[in-house]
Amino acid sequence: MAGKSTARPRKLPVYLYIPNIIGYVRVLMNCVAFAICFSNKRLFSVLYFLSFVCDGVDGWCARKFNQVSTFGAVLDMITDRVSTACLLVLLSQVYRPGLSFLLLLALDISSHWLQMYSTFLTGKVSHKDVKDSTNWLFKAYYGNRMFMAFCCVACEVLYIILFLRAEKQTEDLIDVLMTSARQSPFLLLLLALSLFGWAIKQTINVIQMKTAADVCVLYDINKKQGS
Amino acid sequence: MAGKSTARPRKLPVYLYIPNIIGYVRVLMNCVAFAICFSNKRLFSVLYFLSFVCDGVDGWCARKFNQVSTFGAVLDMITDRVSTACLLVLLSQVYRPGLSFLLLLALDISSHWLQMYSTFLTGKVSHKDVKDSTNWLFKAYYGNRMFMAFCCVACEVLYIILFLRAEKQTEDLIDLFFFLSGTYDLSQTKSISLAFTGSELIWMGNKTNYQCYTDEDSSRRLCAL
Repeated sequence: MAGKSTARPRKLPVYLYIPNIIGYVRVLMNCVAFAICFSNKRLFSVLYFLSFVCDGVDGWCARKFNQVSTFGAVLDMITDRVSTACLLVLLSQVYRPGLSFLLLLALDISSHWLQMYSTFLTGKVSHKDVKDSTNWLFKAYYGNRMFMAFCCVACEVLYIILFLRAEKQTEDLIDVLMTSARQSPFLLLLLALSLFGWAIKQTINVIQMKTAADVCVLYDINKKQGS
Repeated sequence: MAGKSTARPRKLPVYLYIPNIIGYVRVLMNCVAFAICFSNKRLFSVLYFLSFVCDGVDGWCARKFNQVSTFGAVLDMITDRVSTACLLVLLSQVYRPGLSFLLLLALDISSHWLQMYSTFLTGKVSHKDVKDSTNWLFKAYYGNRMFMAFCCVACEVLYIILFLRAEKQTEDLIDLFFFLSGTYDLSQTKSISLAFTGSELIWMGNKTNYQCYTDEDSSRRLCAL
């Protein structure tokens, strides 16, 4: 089933690349997860996390089997964005009125959108390629893949914890955080670590918006000067 | 305050373009709207709709004052995406568990994301530029700006109506439609069914919109950059 890349413009082989099939499985897992999220919170968390793990696996597969594709990268990006968005929607339902989660959703969508635009406008391969950035936090974040992975995982872990810890139909965010922190030292440590990583990631998102907006502006200016 | 585009690489003038200022006002209106959305539904709807109207106004201003900018277009797109997403979040809260709105959110994000990717990969200027598309619905949609505007407005109108009509904390979507279809208020049902038809067409348009250019050329071009 693993189609090798050929010179003929046939699309099916690409759609059947191993990493892309993993991508479809991820989408399916997310669909099932969100369909049962209220009736079976634990299964939801397991599926959601499995899908998150596969996110790394399909990238590894793509490089290992030489099946890197634009479609695969886009599928990956979209699955990430949509699954995070849906999880934030769930959290806003549980922690009503959940305006803070609305804000996080807005930040996630805008920063990634702007970053994608600026990636394309400057002809970079990936939005993670910021070698020429001057911002120290940026360089620390994108320069160190382990650190970046930690922050991304921390974010998702925090959201899942918040979802799992909410027992009533409507919860108060601070209440749940305080209760969870007092519950066990392990949970306290987990919360502290994930809050730290989450904070870094959101800060990066904000900085990203400014730098990407600058790229959009400079793109027009350079175009005018060039022509 | 209106900065003209200069040859010097100064970014501030572009950030102060009139259409971009309108864009910031739109963002502010949305922030205020969603902050008060549960305490004052009517004001929320008014602000949301005003922001939607400004969406057309800033495009017109950009062309009129010759202040078209990439940043402005991106700001526009992002404001649209985020405001629609937040409205869908509200609807999912009101019509719990609101899985259909989760689905609509997923569809909105993925279709626009994919479409933007394909726009860039094929070197087009705007995702609305689909002259060479073979899909008839596509050509009808993007070919006729009035029709496209109608569908976009219909979508937002439907969502706002659903939000305004929900009186209890938790509503049932099907119940609501049965109630509305039983009402003798013809003008209301007509506008709702019109809006619904429009949004159904958008659904179909978006579903057929899942194009992705995966041929070797595009990938090679992108990787070679």
